[in-house]
Parts: sequence; C-alpha cells; structure tokens
Amino acid sequence: MSVQNQDQTEALVTQVHQALETKTPVNIVGGGSKAFLGKSVDAQTLDMNGHVGVVSYEPTELVVTVRTGTPMSELNALLAQNRQTLPFEPPVFGSGTIGGVLACGLSGPARPFAGAARDYVLGMRVINGQGQALRFGGEVMKNVAGYDAARLHVGAYGTLGVLLEASMKVLPLPEAQITLRHELTQANDNTGLVRMMRQPLPLSAATIINNSQYIRLSGSESAVRAAAKTCGGDVVPDGEAFWQSIRELTHEFFNDQRPLWRLSVPEFSPLIQGDIDGEWLLDWAGAQRFLKTNTDASTIFSAATAASGHASCYSANKMANNVPLFQPLEGAMLSLQSRLRDSFDAHRLFNPGRYHPEMDTGLNDQTNSKQSTSNQRPA
Amino acid sequence: MSTPASYPEPKAGLQSDSHADAQSGAAISEKRERYTKALSQLLPDNCILSSTEQLKPYESDGLTVFKKSPLLVVLPETIDQIQAVIKWAASEHVPVVARGAGTGLSGGALPHEDGILLGLAKFNQILELNIEKGFARVQPGVRNLAISDAARSHGLYYAPDPSSQIACTIGGNVAENSGGVHCLKYGLTVHNVLAVTVVTIDGELLQIGSNALDSAGYDLLALLNGSEGMLAIVVEVIVKLLPTPPCAKLVMAAFDSVEDAGNAVGQVIAAGIIPAGLELMDKPAMQAAEAFAHCGYPVDSAALLLCELDGLEEEVSAQIDKVTGVFKSCHVSDLRIAESEEERLLLWKGRKSAFPAVGRLAPDYYCIDGTIPRGQLPYVLRRMEQLSAEYELPIANVFHAGDGNLHPLILFDANIPGETQRTEALGSRILLLCVEVGGTVTGEHGVGVEKINEMCVQFDEASLQQFHAIKAAFDPDGLLNPGKAVPTLQRCAEFGAMHVHRGELPFPELERF
Repeated sequence: MSVQNQDQTEALVTQVHQALETKTPVNIVGGGSKAFLGKSVDAQTLDMNGHVGVVSYEPTELVVTVRTGTPMSELNALLAQNRQTLPFEPPVFGSGTIGGVLACGLSGPARPFAGAARDYVLGMRVINGQGQALRFGGEVMKNVAGYDAARLHVGAYGTLGVLLEASMKVLPLPEAQITLRHELTQANDNTGLVRMMRQPLPLSAATIINNSQYIRLSGSESAVRAAAKTCGGDVVPDGEAFWQSIRELTHEFFNDQRPLWRLSVPEFSPLIQGDIDGEWLLDWAGAQRFLKTNTDASTIFSAATAASGHASCYSANKMANNVPLFQPLEGAMLSLQSRLRDSFDAHRLFNPGRYHPEMDTGLNDQTNSKQSTSNQRPA
Repeated sequence: MSTPASYPEPKAGLQSDSHADAQSGAAISEKRERYTKALSQLLPDNCILSSTEQLKPYESDGLTVFKKSPLLVVLPETIDQIQAVIKWAASEHVPVVARGAGTGLSGGALPHEDGILLGLAKFNQILELNIEKGFARVQPGVRNLAISDAARSHGLYYAPDPSSQIACTIGGNVAENSGGVHCLKYGLTVHNVLAVTVVTIDGELLQIGSNALDSAGYDLLALLNGSEGMLAIVVEVIVKLLPTPPCAKLVMAAFDSVEDAGNAVGQVIAAGIIPAGLELMDKPAMQAAEAFAHCGYPVDSAALLLCELDGLEEEVSAQIDKVTGVFKSCHVSDLRIAESEEERLLLWKGRKSAFPAVGRLAPDYYCIDGTIPRGQLPYVLRRMEQLSAEYELPIANVFHAGDGNLHPLILFDANIPGETQRTEALGSRILLLCVEVGGTVTGEHGVGVEKINEMCVQFDEASLQQFHAIKAAFDPDGLLNPGKAVPTLQRCAEFGAMHVHRGELPFPELERF
C-alpha cells in the first residue's frame, strides 16, 4: 500500500497570507466527513485534500509523521501492514483524514484504556494566523522543550491554526482480541464496568447498549484467554465489526431521526435522567455517553454540568442556527480561552464560529478596526 | 538516597546573570522590608522567610550550579493565601517563582532576584484517595511516591516514576511533565493527570480538566503539563490510579557492542513488545553501578540492557520467551532472567543508583537530558566519544532506551580552573547533537535556565514568538517564573553570535524559517 505524496505547505501558507491580507476567514476542509460536528463556516474553503503523504515512518521507532490531508483509511492500512496501529482507534468516517481526526480530537472505543488522540501526538507543524509555519514538539517520545502546543491543537477544530503535519506514537497491534457480551439485569448499569476498571485486566473497550454489556480484551493469546475466563460472558463472534460500528457511529443505535448528543462525564457518574427523554448508549465504560433525544440543548448542557462533564451535539445539521453545539464556556475560562485563540489567530481567520463561537462573537468589530486584540488582557 | 539533593555539587557558579549584582544592597533591603510588610497583611508571620539564613536553602533547585537569592520566600498554608499573594504580586508587579521540593534538574525553580519564591511544601495532603473510582485528589506538595504508597495496599498505583520520586512533588511533576523508567508503556505526567486546579495571575481559581476524559474548549490540561510554572500556579491535582500489574519480570542482557544493544532494542519493539521499562547502560556507567551496588553486572561487556515486562502472568511469560529469543538472535553475550523478586530489585538497584555511583568516579558530574530517535543511538554514542576526547572529559551514559531519552553524565572537577565551563560547553554540544539527529534538548528535566540557549537552535523565531504569545495569554505582564523555558529573541541572537565567534555556527543545514 503506498500513500500518495504531495507537500502543499507553500501553497497553504500563501493562501493563509492572502486571507490575512484581506481579513477574509477560511473554512478548513479535509475529507469533509465531519460536517456534523460544529457550526458550518460560511467562508472560502481552504482545501487540505492535496496535502498528503507519509513524511517519515520507521516502525521500530514507533513514530509516524504524516501530512494532515492523508486519508485515515490509507494511514491505517500502512500501519496494519507493519502490524502497528494508532492505539486511540480514531474513526475513519469514510473519507476522513488524520488532520480531521486530530482537529476534532476524536478517539474510538479504546480511549479509556489506551489514551486519547492528544496522548499520541508527539509533534505538529501548523500555520498560525500570521501565516507562519510553526513546528511544535517533535518525533521523539519524550520531549519537554517549550509549551506543549502540539497537543493543544488536538480538538481545537482548526481554530488555533491549520494543521500541516502530525507526528504520532504508534504501537504494535495486539496479538489477540476477544469480545464478550454480558446480559445486565438493569439497563445502562455500568457499575460492573467501573469495578472492572480497577482490576488488572487487559481491557481495551467497554460499551453498554440497553441490557447488553460488551467488553473487549486485548493482549497475548494466553493472557486474553486467561482474562476471558475471569470475566465470563458470551463470546461475540465478529467482535471487531461491533467495535467498528461503535467507532464509526454506524451501529443501528445511531440510525435515528432525533439529534445525537455526546456527553463526556466521569465514568462513575450516576445515570442521567431528569427531564431528558431519550435513549442512551454508554461507551468508554460510561465516560462517553451518546444520547438521542429531542430535548432542548440547554437542558442537556445543564445535565452534563450536573454530572461534572460537558456535552456536544453530533447532529449540527438538525439544529437551529442559534443553538450552541458545544457546552458554552463561561467567565474566566471563556476569557482565558479567547485570549489563547487570540494568541494564535487574532483576526479569527480560521473556522470562525465552528468551535465555541462564544469566543468569536463581538470580535468582528475589533477585527475590522486596525487594533489587534492579541495579548491584551480583558478589563 | 538517590535524590538529587545528595548528588555531588559542582562548586563553581557559572553563567550567573551579572545584572543580578547590579542592585545595591540597600535597595534590596528596602524592597525586602516593604514586601515583608505588605505580605504580613496576607500571611501569618511564620509563612514569610526573609533572613539570609532562611533564604539560603532556596537559592537553587537540584541544579546547584545556578544560585540566586529571592527577595523573600513565602510558604502559604491555604489556597486563599496563595490567591492573595498572587493578587498582590500582580498589582505590585513582583515576579513569582513557584517551587515544590526543589529537586528539578534544569533550574526551573531558580529564584528571581527581584521577586518572591512561592514554596508549596505545606500543601502536602492527599485530599481524597478514591479506590472505587480510581483517582487521587492531592495537594501539589504531595510527594510522587506518597501517592503510590497510599494506594498500593488497594492494588492501585500512580504510574509516572521519575527517579527522584521519593522527594519530588506532584506539583513539580506537572510543571515539568515528568517521565520515569516506565513511561514508554504507561506515559508521562500529562497522560496520568486528570485535572489541575490553578491560580491564575489574576488570582482566580480555575479547574482545568475533570474526572471526565476530556473538557469543553481547548485542551489546557495538555498545555499546563510541562509549562514550568510559567502559565499558572497549580494548587490541586487529580491523578489517575492504575491497577498494579500482578506480575513483573526483569531480563538482563549484555552485549559486546553498543550497536548490538541498540539493535536489540529495535528488534524487541519490532517483535511487537512494549516493555514496561527498557534501560541501557554503557560500560563506564555499568562499571560504576556495579562497584556501587554489587548487583552482578557483567562488567566486561560493552553495554547492558535491563528489560522489564509486566502484566498478567500469562502475558509476561509469553513476552519473556519472545524477548529472550530476540536477544539471542542479536548476539547477546550474557543473558539472565531474574529468578526472584530479590534478584529483580538488585538488578534494578544498580541502574537506579547509576547517578550517585558515577558520582564516585569524579569530584563532580553533570547530568545531560536529551532525547534522540532510538535508531541514532550508535551514531550519537560515537560522536559523544569524539566530543569526550575533544573536551578531555569522560562521559558515562545511561539511556531510557525504550523512549530514546539519553542521560550522559559528564565527569569533571570543579576545583580545576576552567573545567566547569568546559563541562557546560560539552553539555551544550551534546544537546545540539540531539537536535541534529532529530531529537530534543530535553526529554524530561525541562528547559529551566539550563537549556535556554539550546532552545534557540531547536525552535525557529516564529515558533518561539508563538510560545511568548501563549505565555502572554495567561500572564500578560510576564510575572510567573520569568526568564525560564523560552528564550527571548534577543538572547538567541546573542547565543548565535557567540557560536559564530567560536567559528562553529550550530547546524547551518537545519531548517530555520
């Protein structure tokens, strides 16, 4: 499997310079597979699809460096050829790119056990709002030189810069995996999973749909066999197909007219009921809870706050324009995050409004005036 | 004890900022008095240290070549007091340097001569040890090892284990993003901290992160880890506790060449195994460790690997088979599997005492901390041998081989005029060598004041400027730990000029935007 190779850094830098000169925002687009996340951006497209290829990959170094327009499917295939993987199990979403996965900070079912997308990022090249190509982190496992601005870009939805290249830690594929199903007496009861997480078991995924609890064990043949005996339950024949359907949001649960929400809460948070009428799927042992519901956004945000977490909407196209899709930031946290956005993109060129638009509101006036807000403290 | 505090101490001060002496004694006394008066409104008197004898222990951290006296040391007892102190410092424009146990090895907690040192040692309580939910909520002055000690009887532990773990504090670990012997498999501090509560320069209390696995907005938690006390003051930390692996086994493998040992490391990884720990020592380090700990290392070999495997018993025995097979195919000259827990700990003891052991070979030593792509190890070791000859200073190497983190120890005698300076220059050359092969000037000790010049080589101007902009977003007046971690562009210009003057501009072939 060979991945196409094309470095468009120069062209992308030029486009950002043009955007800067004319103060015209851009909408950064890769495979276009994640339009359901965040508000659509009404701006000229900055197309990442041509910026593709593996910059370096030495399997025994456990590091891969890729251009961000590289399709996930191609990257996965290359790693699999070398019996390696991105352990955070990023979704592919058909045409999705590694840049999109990192910009949206998406991790699959393995997340609570193997770590998140940001945990595997070692370095990043990005273009900031001044049109400068910057390099943060590097290609080595341990690196504490400078602020960790590479990880900061993961999950920032491109609002801190245009991602050019990412260096990530990869790991060997597990030798063996098994998926086990348990019947629960009480729907969506994850107390058993929370207990299991405190045991030295080779868990690599844990999901509950109604009365069915699914766990995956990964490791050496003998260890998986021994752990399966400890855990009990029915062996699910095509376990990987099941986990893929959770990761790719293609499981029948996700096929619904109602908007889909994601609540990120401590896995031990009690089940959220209250005023919410809908159906739940618990992933990440209960730390990531998908909810299909017609309940209004503010009720969902309040419920997430009450459960010490936050909510985001996974059905942008089904929501009215004035409804926030991410748990709104407030107070000192909002000012700090806005200042951080200023420090990278003072003119709000990148994906304005897509991620936490409360950071961008009221800014247009300031952007149009000659004074940049960069590095200024709020009164 | 293997804490840096017990390391031999280079005697000569070098590179000390000369403008520190510019203030007259009278001006310092006046300020000290004025600040004491103001702070005594905010803190009990016993929380303020101001006499020369009281300030003395705070003049340096684990990197004792750098010393400065702060105007005052404050040791608050409550978060309210910290907020009050920070608000005061912000309004009076007084620099604040935070300090935990002071075990850092890069001068990150070096005081500011015009500022106050904020000691967090009194915040030493584990506030909540939640076994069912798998986390500990601790104050920043809690020692790293104290967390695992508290959790161990419940079958849980805190994974990052820097070698100073009996003394270093979790607040300092967050500031430095500390690693340890086991981080290839279990990650760094950033991978094991769920949340921090910080006091910002405005005196506001902010919680960053939570017991959920991510938070709304930008990942400030990732940014705070390793920020060297420059963005905010950490006043509480929630760490993840992991189940203790039921089984851990150690394989010792000796090789007749460093190349063979390096190759064996790559082959272990290629076989699909991620050891819990994978440590390499070269001959000088191994011999010193053996003389110190008598652990039975084969001292005639060129390099020694310690490979620890952990997990379920079944997993570990399968991996032991694979690993020994790999070593045999890589020309191993001596191979041993620790038969008992006693033997395992003894073999580790040599590695863990390598620093003090090397310290016995010479009056002083200087520990370098760079990371390189693992495959570059033979080249880097060869180059270091040449540099060692060129600078006439012996080097012993210990290496976290799994993750490429190299710790060359330069042996020197500070009493010989010029030797300290030569040591520093050699250290700098080694760091630049790490950058040259695609690595970094610091793997786990931080930049602090020590590696600030080398940052100019690793990062281009625009990236450094972006770092300063990030800093300004948190701390617009630059009062938190000023002058550390990120060099000013002016400093870089001077550093560059110095190298041109010596006729050895570092790596003109490096990409510099």
